[in-house]
Amino acid sequence: MSSQPDKNFQLEQANASDDSIQQTHAQLLQTKPEKKDGYSFLPLGILGLMCAAVFFGSIYLAHNSVRFDPLVYSESAKREKPGAVANVALTRAQLGKRVFATTCIACHQANGLGIPSVYPPLAGSEWALGNEERIIRIVLHGLNGPIEVKGSAYANVMAPLGEVLKDEQIANVISYVRSEWGNAASEVQPELVAKVRAATAARKTYWTAAELQQVGP
Amino acid sequence: MNSPDQPVRTEQMQVDASAKWPGLALFGSALFWLLLGGTLQLIAAIQLHTPTFLAECAWFTYGRLTPAAQNALVYGWGINAALGFGLWLMARLSATTLRHGGWLLVAIKFWNTGVALGVLGILGGYSTSFELLEMPRFVTLILLVSYAMIGVWAVTTFSIRNTENVFASQWYLFGAAFWFPWLYAIAQLMLLKAPVRGVLQPVVNAWFVHGLYGLWFVPVALAAAYYFLPKILGKPIANYYLAPLAFWWLVIVTALAGGSRLIGAPVPVWIPTLGTVANFLLVVPVVIIGLNLFGTFSGRYSALSGSVTLRFILLSAIAFIFASILNLAFSLRGFVEIAQFTLLSELRDWVVLYACFSSAMFGAAYFILPRLTSGAWRFPTLVKMHLGATLVGVALLTVALGVGGWQQGHLLGSSPVAFGEITQAMTFWFTLRTAGFAVLLFGHLAFVINFVGLLCPLCTCCKKATADVGQGSSAEGHA
Repeated sequence: MSSQPDKNFQLEQANASDDSIQQTHAQLLQTKPEKKDGYSFLPLGILGLMCAAVFFGSIYLAHNSVRFDPLVYSESAKREKPGAVANVALTRAQLGKRVFATTCIACHQANGLGIPSVYPPLAGSEWALGNEERIIRIVLHGLNGPIEVKGSAYANVMAPLGEVLKDEQIANVISYVRSEWGNAASEVQPELVAKVRAATAARKTYWTAAELQQVGP
Repeated sequence: MNSPDQPVRTEQMQVDASAKWPGLALFGSALFWLLLGGTLQLIAAIQLHTPTFLAECAWFTYGRLTPAAQNALVYGWGINAALGFGLWLMARLSATTLRHGGWLLVAIKFWNTGVALGVLGILGGYSTSFELLEMPRFVTLILLVSYAMIGVWAVTTFSIRNTENVFASQWYLFGAAFWFPWLYAIAQLMLLKAPVRGVLQPVVNAWFVHGLYGLWFVPVALAAAYYFLPKILGKPIANYYLAPLAFWWLVIVTALAGGSRLIGAPVPVWIPTLGTVANFLLVVPVVIIGLNLFGTFSGRYSALSGSVTLRFILLSAIAFIFASILNLAFSLRGFVEIAQFTLLSELRDWVVLYACFSSAMFGAAYFILPRLTSGAWRFPTLVKMHLGATLVGVALLTVALGVGGWQQGHLLGSSPVAFGEITQAMTFWFTLRTAGFAVLLFGHLAFVINFVGLLCPLCTCCKKATADVGQGSSAEGHA
């Protein structure tokens, strides 16, 4: 309170009345700044800035709005309209890879070679590439060894998968097995799986190799 | 001055007298929320580096403290202070008294009751999930109705003005008086009353949050800057003829800029893109406003030594430019990839709410409050301490949130670093952030003590000295 310099902080000094502020500024709005020689830089500069902002804004908008499409969530998405591009059809073998990876891979392995003298191979296997109905039966009801594959004997059990997999899944996974690892046998259709499933509906036990030999060539 | 056909201006002393109680009530409650919000914010900040602090009490867990602090600061401090300043300036520039102040006091009471219920509701665990709309639903109606009762004063005061001319500050205040209820009502309606479907919800919320900062806090801060610069420097705003362009451009484009908060979010990509473009366009009004404000300052920086108000306004103007640069940076995808979800995104909103808006309100308060009470600040040292604490706090927080946020963003972006390690690596910055909030809170405390001293002139010697100062300045100073 007592020291003089602090007095400045006591009451802020106003150096213009509200009235004069309003009048002065109202006049400033009506009169443009005086031109000295030629153009004044400021209005031109602001105009240039406005144009630049609008220009770059438009370009950016055109590049990144993707036609204001409500279904496009990423600016790097394809520019085609949704639906303009036909769906890519997947083969049964491609669809079957997923089933194989969850169901078969533990025993028969990703390379389709199985484990020597424990689990038989699928790559080049005469059982996998031969009669379609035979391999469908194995998948549906399982197999109880012994069995000879590619000249080696195996004595293990394969669990039945008919209750777990649908007809289409079985068709897909068999198609995958028959076309992967150098195999080149025909695709299996779900209709055939359904037919075999109906024909063997009474079967409750695992197949044996001898029984399967009678199915067909 | 008053020719017969000119409206008769009400004397400034009379205007101030009519605004005394509403003004003091608004500023008083604003300061209460500033202290409370600051304390809650400080506790939440401490928990980031000392997680055990108050962790047993459900009411003081981080998830409740943070929104409670933010809501107390935005609705308690922000809106009360903005209205206190805005109504006074509107009355001053309209050269008319604030009529029926009693009703205004009732409305202010209701508003603050609403905010209190809302903050308690958040602390009690009844918050909603939308940023800045966390207050429980039953508070909404109290807030909207009481805001309408306060905000209408700005509009009616403007409409019964006794002046021929309208000044830039009035554009911003008049606009802001409408923009807040518009934003708040639409956001409440579309998010809580009749919620829109999934993807639209973050869009509405981002539009509201961005609008609240850009169309309420920024305009009020600009109104203060546009008024106090010519008022204290005694010199008109430089390049004032560009100001209307900046006003229209700013308000129209800001309403479209909210989408820029959603870059990378799962929303239709044109929404963030439009927000980015809007932020490009905002460069124009920001440059013009910069020319207006700093052009007026130029050559007169010596006047800063005599005026606290001017110093706060300068801080606010610098923060406005800084906030605009941050906003622009936050609409560039490359920057957002690093800065999003870090302390930097906190910096972006904090700069607007605190460095830009709150500084302007402090400056305004140092000008207005002595005029409302016809008194003087009893503790000039505390004024300096408040100013110093604000400067130090703002600097600390800018560094802590800026540098710390940048480092945090780089760490979060590198996949081999575990999240727990990042949190540990950030301890230094979190501690610095706490220090910043503590320094600011100290400054607020100094200001509140001075405010209370202004209200109750207890010691007679002070009263006498006050009277002397008042006498000396009332002739030419009370303007």
